[in-house]
Amino acid sequence: MHKYILKRIFLSVFTLLAITLVLFTLLQFMPGSPFNDEKLTDDQRTVLNAKYGLDQPVYVQFGKYVSNMVQGDFGVSYNISKNTPISQLIQTRLPVSIRIGGMAVGLGAIVGLIFGVIAALNHNTFWDTLCTAVSVLGVSVPSYVFALALSYTFGFRLSWLPMLYSSKAEFASSVMPSIALGMFTMASIARFTRTEMLEVLGSDYMLLAESKGISGAPLILRHALRNAMIPIITVLAPLIVDLMTGSLVVEKIFSIPGVGSLLVTAIQSNDYNVVISLSFIYSAMYIGIMLVVDLLYGLIDPRIRITKEGGNA
Amino acid sequence: MSELSVSHPLTGDAFLPDDFELRGSTPAEVDSNFASQNYWKDVFKRFVSNKGAIVSLVVILLLCLLAAFGPKMTGYTYATQTLSEKNFAPRVPGLEKFGIFDGNEALRTTSGVKIINGYTQKGLTDTYYWFGSDTLGRDIWTRVWEGTRISLSIAVLAAVIDMIIGMSYGLISGYFGGRVDNIMQRIAEIINGIPRLVVVTLLMLVLPRGFATIVFALLITEWIGMSRIARAEMLKLKEQEFVLASRTLGAKDFTIIFREILPNIIGQIITQLMFSIPTAIFTEAFLSFVGLGIPVPMCSLGSLISDAFNSFTTHPYQIIPPIVVLACLMLCFNMLADGLREAFDPKLKEM
Amino acid sequence: MKLVKQVGATLLAGAMAFSLVGCGSSAAPASSAASAAQSAVAAASNVLNVMVEVEVASLDPQIATDGTSFEVIADYTDGLMQMDANGKAVPAIAESCDVSEDGLTYTFHLRKDANWSNGEAVTADDFVFGWQRAADPATASEYSYMLSDIGQIKNAAAIIAGEKPVTDLGVKAVDEKTLEVTLEVPVSYFLGLMYFPTFYPINRSFYEGLATGTFGTSPETVLSNGAFKVESYEPAALSFSLVKNPDYYDAAKVSLDGLNYQVIKDSQQAFMSYQNGDLDIVKLSGDQVDQVDGDPELKVVGAGYLWYLTMNGHDVPALANANMRLALSNAVNRASIVEDVVKDGSVATYTAVPPQFATGPDGSDFSADQTRFAEVCSDDAEKAAAYYKKACEELGQDSFTFELLLEDQTETQNVAAVLKEQIEGALPGVSINLKVEPKKQRVEDIQNGVYEVCLTRWGPDYADPMTYLGMWITDNNNNYGLWSSKDYDAIIADCTTGAYITDAEARWAALYDAEKIVMDEAVIAPLYTKADANMIKANIKGIEFHPVALNRVYKNATKG
Repeated sequence: MHKYILKRIFLSVFTLLAITLVLFTLLQFMPGSPFNDEKLTDDQRTVLNAKYGLDQPVYVQFGKYVSNMVQGDFGVSYNISKNTPISQLIQTRLPVSIRIGGMAVGLGAIVGLIFGVIAALNHNTFWDTLCTAVSVLGVSVPSYVFALALSYTFGFRLSWLPMLYSSKAEFASSVMPSIALGMFTMASIARFTRTEMLEVLGSDYMLLAESKGISGAPLILRHALRNAMIPIITVLAPLIVDLMTGSLVVEKIFSIPGVGSLLVTAIQSNDYNVVISLSFIYSAMYIGIMLVVDLLYGLIDPRIRITKEGGNA
Repeated sequence: MSELSVSHPLTGDAFLPDDFELRGSTPAEVDSNFASQNYWKDVFKRFVSNKGAIVSLVVILLLCLLAAFGPKMTGYTYATQTLSEKNFAPRVPGLEKFGIFDGNEALRTTSGVKIINGYTQKGLTDTYYWFGSDTLGRDIWTRVWEGTRISLSIAVLAAVIDMIIGMSYGLISGYFGGRVDNIMQRIAEIINGIPRLVVVTLLMLVLPRGFATIVFALLITEWIGMSRIARAEMLKLKEQEFVLASRTLGAKDFTIIFREILPNIIGQIITQLMFSIPTAIFTEAFLSFVGLGIPVPMCSLGSLISDAFNSFTTHPYQIIPPIVVLACLMLCFNMLADGLREAFDPKLKEM
Repeated sequence: MKLVKQVGATLLAGAMAFSLVGCGSSAAPASSAASAAQSAVAAASNVLNVMVEVEVASLDPQIATDGTSFEVIADYTDGLMQMDANGKAVPAIAESCDVSEDGLTYTFHLRKDANWSNGEAVTADDFVFGWQRAADPATASEYSYMLSDIGQIKNAAAIIAGEKPVTDLGVKAVDEKTLEVTLEVPVSYFLGLMYFPTFYPINRSFYEGLATGTFGTSPETVLSNGAFKVESYEPAALSFSLVKNPDYYDAAKVSLDGLNYQVIKDSQQAFMSYQNGDLDIVKLSGDQVDQVDGDPELKVVGAGYLWYLTMNGHDVPALANANMRLALSNAVNRASIVEDVVKDGSVATYTAVPPQFATGPDGSDFSADQTRFAEVCSDDAEKAAAYYKKACEELGQDSFTFELLLEDQTETQNVAAVLKEQIEGALPGVSINLKVEPKKQRVEDIQNGVYEVCLTRWGPDYADPMTYLGMWITDNNNNYGLWSSKDYDAIIADCTTGAYITDAEARWAALYDAEKIVMDEAVIAPLYTKADANMIKANIKGIEFHPVALNRVYKNATKG
């Protein structure tokens, strides 16, 4: 078991390094230099390139890049916030994104589970159809449209919730973004729960449990849902990453000072250093989550551990 | 069953055929899986019995037809701008008499709600924009179907290419196993380690904007899922007798992979393909919003939605058609894929 | 059963569609009452709630380059001069200024009561420090050319190039309150540069007491000598605030208690927040202007930017032909572009120098007369066809394909789509392909001459036509078409360093001559001058808008 964990961690670190290399290579291919404005002269560009070390050979830049990154130094922003260390930008913004993302995942997972269970228990009835339709629509309306519709209805017309994020009313102003963001999670969890529950409900041990006289809520909660939950945990991980995608647009619309809106701004103002750094952060989080889930999963379900070990040996 | 003249062991009364009737209307249980050797016929039968999937298929075909011929139905082209006829609300011949789709639009201004009708203001009696016109006076009907065509092309092309790549990768990796598998899986793991969002965004920044770039960006991330399924299936199948048999008969590796094993897993592959089409459509829509979508003057569902988004609170009718089409495509492809999965994998159906 | 699925889905889709339409059409008296209540609350506090579209890029006056940063820096910093409501330079930290006979030496006398918010006096040395920073290659200030090319301060060019030490800069503190500036050549608009943030002072001892790289990153790391001071701020913040500076020398005139800035990137959210009373001033998108038609709170102000087409006559033979360029320029319907596409009050422009920013010796707008070059630049498809016919004969060709390069903004993409239609419609045989690129890439491409036609823009750096006309001299960095004319170069040289320096009237006339050459040759095809459609609450008065340098000044604003 320890060997397996060590192996997984080693692999993750290796993956991260490889990603850094890929990102750095892409950075070299980014169109235009970061200092291209109508107003800049050639001389000034030379000065700027020298200042940020962009005039050095690529391998020197890469070495510096990696060693700086290991120390948590991502370089500075060129456009969004001139000369500000990117690590500082991320430090203040990441907690906000994580909090709203957490609320969205929580909300989405709970509602999704309920929907999925209802759909599975009423398989092939109107409720099943309704849950399926709602969950598919949840993933088919782009989150920015959904966000604006929410904001228009509950923020503008009804004045129930603040339309823009405010650090003074953190919870109230996080509600709408969380709903908009959690929609995707909700839909995916609902669909997945339905499939898993159907499989579990049709299994022999459920038949056994039923024949032993267990029924009602205990049957569903203790026996069915519990077994269905194991695979659901695995989809939650990639969903958290999908949440990052959603956060880009939702944060922009609600003016949330998070990493998602920072990334959109960076893409649109061609602040490549920030784009690359955030890509790295996103990748690191993704790999981290995958690692944790993998290890957790191994703990919960011994079969996986054994086959994995066999597979990797 | 016709010779039921057995007498009761205790009473000695003879049973008459009328004493019995068949339980249920079905004839005796026949193991259909065993009886009909034709797997595809079965799949087809199971699929047809799934009304949701059939309706989805019909809707998809309908949308494809509209995407092909819709742009030619109105006499406008998707790029023709009539700036004097911008922001016209939908007007449909016939329906206009019933007070709907008559070109009236309620514009909420700061000085109250105004009813505007561009057609009557300009005295146009014979002009009809079925879905209305956009901010540059382009026919939304035409643009929606043109956009559907582009979005579908992007999605299908990306999905098919990623199917071919992912499938081959997974099959080869799974078949050869050992070191080959190890190396191939590490590569896939690294690529998979970079979030899709990041890869797609970076590629769109680096490469020149356009149709081909979007397809490329989409397929580079999507093939991993496909390769995983193919590999898992391969691991399951490769030790089976029929593979052994053909190997003993001297079949080459690639013949075994693509002639013997592939047909057995094609069901899962097609299902996965159907799931990846809506994902691709949706990712393209996201790219458009961040400004990395298909460039002007071309349009896709994503670019239409993100353009119309800017006038969402002013002219909401502009965003409805592309959203509804997008939602229909997503819903139908998902249900079709569900149907296919159930058809290919009868275990799910037994419940 | 599955049919129900379909029906349900269709109903849902329909319901969604309906609710979207419902959003647009039904009125809601209840919420307007609520918003009225909210705005009453907002009005009670005497703080202005301002929307900006982008984050502040830097609070360092020598590093900042964008309008938002300049606006915020100017909220809490005064330069030697400041702008009055009409954009004229009036004394601020400098009480008075003596100019030498030859126009080469400016002596500024600083006011005695100007202090930094830490209590120290604003000294001449603070200006010397700020200006030397701007010129120092180590600072890598992107606006250092304000000192050299534009300000012509002695030795600035050599210092920026790294050939001389910063101490050689032609600026020195004669005593604590006297600043002496030496120029290379006389510059007629020099005082007008003094409100530009690049020329703002920095308290030397305060700056040197901070850890490297922390200047301007928090309220504690900036000093104020202006009307407001920073209350809350962090780099790239989406909301931050300033409060009135009680120690400001002119504090009696400042009526606001403070400013709350909110960055909003989605214009619809911004407008809804404005209608709810959360914001006092917002900028609208062109599409939203329809919604506020006739509203007295709508205020359109010039933003100064000229959008124009630059044509690469150096590498594309067809575009080297002046008739071809004139044909393209006349084929465009500018009136339609501003009315139907941009819609935010931007002005169709038919002159190489846009209107609304430069006023002449007699106080009139340099480009007030937009028909001055109507002969060669108008929305006239027939004239375009005539030029095109000539061009076809001269080039011996009757079909052309041009690639129009543009950046990936919504507005530019719409404008480009319309330009394509207009040009192709007016000039049979011409086809335009659009090429969309990120802004950085587009700028790099036109600077390297890798383009055919490009939709680009230029904003004025100072209130003189030279900020535009200076671009088309031979070998200028921003002469993207690599066009060259000896006559033109001669006139511009006379206006910047030669004969006309001291004769404002003659210089003005000569500038018109230069502009005529540009227009006759269609070096560029001007399109429109950008404007901002602002909504300002009726109780807000006295915000000053300028197309140059400081877009908005709040010092004299009141909220009543």
